[in-house]
Amino acid sequence: MPNPDGSLVKLEKIHKWFGQNHVLNGIDLTVQPKNVVVIIGPSGSGKSTLLRTINLLEEPTEGRVLFDGKDITDIRTDVNEVRTHIGIVFQSFNLFPHMTARRNITISLRKVLGKSEEEADEIAMEELEHMGLPEKADAYPSQLSGGQQQRIAIARALAMRPKLMLFDEVTSALDPELVKEVLDAMIRLAEEGMTMVVVTHEMGFAREVGTRLIFTDGGRIVEDGKPREIFDAPQDERTKSFLSHVL
Amino acid sequence: MSRASVTDTLKRSDGRPDTRGGTAPLPAGILIAGIAATLIATVGTLIVQLVYAWGGAGGMTPGCVQELTIKLAGGEELVNGALGVCNVVRAVISPTQSFLFWVALVVGLGAAVAGLIFYRSMPTRRMRDQCISGAVLGIQSALLVIFLMWFRSGNVFDFARNFLNFALLQDSFDGFVRGAKNTLQLAFVGELGGIGVGLVLAVLVISQHRVVRAPARIYINFFRGTPLIWQLPFFFYLLSFGFGIRLETFTVATIVFVLNTGAYAAEVFRAGIESIDKGQMEAARSLGMSYLQAMRYAIVPQAVRRVIPPLMNEFVILIKDTALIVVLGLTAEQLDIFGYARQGYASSFNATFFTATAVAYLVVTLPLIRLVNYVEERLRSGMAGRV
Repeated sequence: MPNPDGSLVKLEKIHKWFGQNHVLNGIDLTVQPKNVVVIIGPSGSGKSTLLRTINLLEEPTEGRVLFDGKDITDIRTDVNEVRTHIGIVFQSFNLFPHMTARRNITISLRKVLGKSEEEADEIAMEELEHMGLPEKADAYPSQLSGGQQQRIAIARALAMRPKLMLFDEVTSALDPELVKEVLDAMIRLAEEGMTMVVVTHEMGFAREVGTRLIFTDGGRIVEDGKPREIFDAPQDERTKSFLSHVL
Repeated sequence: MSRASVTDTLKRSDGRPDTRGGTAPLPAGILIAGIAATLIATVGTLIVQLVYAWGGAGGMTPGCVQELTIKLAGGEELVNGALGVCNVVRAVISPTQSFLFWVALVVGLGAAVAGLIFYRSMPTRRMRDQCISGAVLGIQSALLVIFLMWFRSGNVFDFARNFLNFALLQDSFDGFVRGAKNTLQLAFVGELGGIGVGLVLAVLVISQHRVVRAPARIYINFFRGTPLIWQLPFFFYLLSFGFGIRLETFTVATIVFVLNTGAYAAEVFRAGIESIDKGQMEAARSLGMSYLQAMRYAIVPQAVRRVIPPLMNEFVILIKDTALIVVLGLTAEQLDIFGYARQGYASSFNATFFTATAVAYLVVTLPLIRLVNYVEERLRSGMAGRV
């Protein structure tokens, strides 16, 4: 029974243990298409781990992850295939340093999706233009600023034509003056109707761009609702305390 | 020595300011004394050797020739290299050499003592550097002189006759060149094959699955844990007696070098692969690549670049290890450097062949060592990310 509720992602009772450390403690979360879900919370609250369970970079110790109605935690599921539909952008960019920007984008198009070189190059240029960096196609990551590298990383993920984009603190490693160019790219994506799950410390982005805000603490979802409502009137004490520290 | 000299800013030839300050007679003198002691001990000794080598200091002493003469079975007499060895010895024990040694010792120790006393009170950086450099050079030359004087107080003649009788080698040049060719061929094929074996082993040995990991680990530990000098004959007889495969010894040796180098290369590759940030694997897997695809396109190309210097170091080690092929019998055409020298030693009973071996290995390895250092520097200076 594929996708009865129309959700794109559905986490069911997710628990994650790192040794003795109970990082995720029973997470239930449903993400509808075209939503921009922003996850905030104190460091160590499990928000990155939560994000990474969605594409199974972290395998949940307990619980199920459904993507597009399919249980991807079932070991018979081809995880590689599922991941082609889920783009992820990391805090530390993780571009391949030995490849040009263009090849960073085309490598998975060719080797995973089996596209021809011409087709892959075309898509790469399209995405580079989308991110405003067509002139950097032949640059190596080491020749680019952090903001440019991160936008190439976004282009690399988008080139796979994913149904969902995950962002894991993508501006945290950037110099302050480079944060805006990356946030602007993400805002554009949201406006284009991309389904996004965003872990961030950028409260302005959470408030203005997010369609839904989730506050995590101690491996649980403490608060879940409209960003403006939570920012203006947080219900939980922990949310109040966190927001008073970061705002 | 006015304090002003400390802040005197001299212009260097390239226009950048030189802030090391001026100098003065005392520190300059200490530096010059250190340099002089070094030159007297090294260049002086060399000049004495050359003067004697050209027979400039009188003819050969008859007794010297007598001792060097090698009597062959037929009553024929060989005095190969006699003159050369005599000259080396006579130069070393000559009064001129003694005089140079004592001068170098006194001047060197003088520079050392003066430099160490005065360097702390020098007002400019240049003066301090001169005191320190002079003192260090003085100590080095004094140590060299003491070492050489000690050496010549022993039986210089016997040593020189057995190890420095270079005239014996006059017909051996081609043999050493052929030996070097064989040595390089063994090492090169061994290294190339070893890199292939090592890369596969490395990927196996980092596997999450114990059943995949274990055989690779056993292989690596076996070849790293047993001596090559045993592996060579063991596999030779294993192949010929055990499996009934008769191959040339040279071929068997090459195979063993490949297998052995593979184990060492595997550890180098493993360290290289594990040094790649785990975000690279995550990024590749997130794009839908399989584990092996991620290895092939993202991880291994970066690791290979990182392990080039250690692999080249392995190559230098392997060049010298090929000498162990001597435990297998080889034809004259297949002899490596060491094997050829051993043959020369067997027919002359003179170890000068082995002295020449050291020189021959250096001729092969020194350029490589230079190349390793150059590549290492290039990789460290940020070229690592480029193709």
